[in-house]
Amino acid sequence: MTRVVRSGYHLTFISLALLCIFLFPIYWMVLTSLKTTPQIFTYPPVFIPENLDFDMWINGILPDPNVWRYIRNSTIIATGTMVLTVLLAAPAAYAVAHLPIRGKSAIMIVSLSTLMFPAIMTAMPLFVIFSRLGLTNTYLGLILADTTLALPFAIVLLRPFFASIPKDLVEAARIDGCSQFGAFLRIIVPVARPGLMTAAIFAFLFGWGDLVFALALGDNNAVRPVTAGLWAYIGSFTNNWGGAMAFSTLAMAPPLVVFLITQRYVVAGLLAGGLKE
Amino acid sequence: MTESIGSTPARVGAWNAAPGRQNPMRRLMDRFDGSVVPYLFVLPAALFMVGLMIYPTIFNVQISFQQMTAGNLLSGGAEWVGLANYQAMLEDPRFTTAFKNSLIFTAASMVFQIGIGLALALFYNQDFPGNLIMRPLYLVAYAVPVIVVASVFNWLLDGQYGVINWALRSLGIIDGPIFWLNDVNTALGGVIFINIWLGIPFNLTVLLAGLKSIPRELYEAAEVDGAGRFTKFWHITLPLLRPALLAVGMLGIIFTFKMFDVVWVATKGGPAGASDVLPTLSFKLVFEQFLFGKGAAVLNVMFLFLFVLSLIYLRVLNRQELRK
Repeated sequence: MTRVVRSGYHLTFISLALLCIFLFPIYWMVLTSLKTTPQIFTYPPVFIPENLDFDMWINGILPDPNVWRYIRNSTIIATGTMVLTVLLAAPAAYAVAHLPIRGKSAIMIVSLSTLMFPAIMTAMPLFVIFSRLGLTNTYLGLILADTTLALPFAIVLLRPFFASIPKDLVEAARIDGCSQFGAFLRIIVPVARPGLMTAAIFAFLFGWGDLVFALALGDNNAVRPVTAGLWAYIGSFTNNWGGAMAFSTLAMAPPLVVFLITQRYVVAGLLAGGLKE
Repeated sequence: MTESIGSTPARVGAWNAAPGRQNPMRRLMDRFDGSVVPYLFVLPAALFMVGLMIYPTIFNVQISFQQMTAGNLLSGGAEWVGLANYQAMLEDPRFTTAFKNSLIFTAASMVFQIGIGLALALFYNQDFPGNLIMRPLYLVAYAVPVIVVASVFNWLLDGQYGVINWALRSLGIIDGPIFWLNDVNTALGGVIFINIWLGIPFNLTVLLAGLKSIPRELYEAAEVDGAGRFTKFWHITLPLLRPALLAVGMLGIIFTFKMFDVVWVATKGGPAGASDVLPTLSFKLVFEQFLFGKGAAVLNVMFLFLFVLSLIYLRVLNRQELRK
């Protein structure tokens, strides 16, 4: 029995080491933002500095109005993408799962195949189309573009969720006099909440992390999201690694927080996407 | 007649408020609700996908046969030039380099992502204290925006002060500093390295789930028969893991082939196109050189390749289903 316990902790130690190696880049990013310039540009690298220097944050990143503008833009765009995706995907996935319509397989085939569209492939024609419609450099344009990333994934993800809800639930609601949409809203949606949460989270992460559409359709400083903002920042200062790491940390923080809170759903979503029915 | 009022209570918003089952309005609304409304559920999503994804793709094909420039972009008066764009593309050495790089990038990323992912999955399939807490932490890499990851690795791979070089020199693997992302010979390898890191969490999660679905009894029965570790892995684990491996494999290939952010932020496809992949090349053609026609041509080639890959994936999936 002692042997089992000992080998158990033996593995724990290895796991800890592996995790530290894997997540080292994150540690290094945050640490670099807290170093002084001479500490950054030194060899061999300093892994544990004697004291932390908040100068880059206090005087560089935090007072920069652009940084906060970019974060605000990203929040608007990511939230918009999340809302639009769920609004479009949920009824569609439910209908494919349960309602009597024709063309179900067409919808699923279109959803599955659009999953493989490279963002750049949609970005170019959308640039032409949006330019003619005046939608470039607008929040709406970016939300619409980012939703093209999230919507197919959401539909593919949600269909099995809705399919696993027993049909009797729907039937009972209908017999009671509920309309289709009423039944959907009042009975199905509450039951499908975990699936909807997963879809919403992925849509938010896609919307926040997108770079292609941001560069192609929204590079104006007013609507620029934090991804394009970071890119512009890196481009304008060649060796300001401390600043770049600080900005990166800030750019990473919101989606990371969202992820840590809703971890469970992300795992469920990845499994549903990876091991399709 | 009082029955009907008692058994179907009126509800706010329902149209059975009118007494009597014979209410014609209600029957009409019911029919509408049963047959037409379901289509309304799908309509918004369908319109969106057709309008903002299918139509642009077709538009792309059209643009590839035209000579569209910044000048006639808005007015739409671009002339038709047949296959000229495709010809220009095939004659452009940047295209051949980018295509070759895309293949290398995808293949190398997949091999290591799946290899390391599988190794980690096998490791985390064991029982030990803290397993369940530490395992999901790998997914942190998934939540971080790719541009952030690329920036950090840019710094880690720095020639003079980067940690990677320090580690390699300390281990005696290399002698002097290597400017990974700035050297024509190592740039592609550098972006592949970053991409491997990005893909590990997804592979780990899916493969581990696959491992967990293999019943323990199979291993126990094999042990009784005297099977060793390798035999168990080769004859039980691998065959039963095939669906999961297939999933990460095909999905990984598709997502890696179309990856833009990593290469763009790390090297912008440089130096001199050494690490250019098809997505970054097309971005440059369209948004830096405004060669819309040629850019569209490259994009169509990319799409065709991915389309064929997806068809293969669906074919293999189907055959797998049939075998069951």
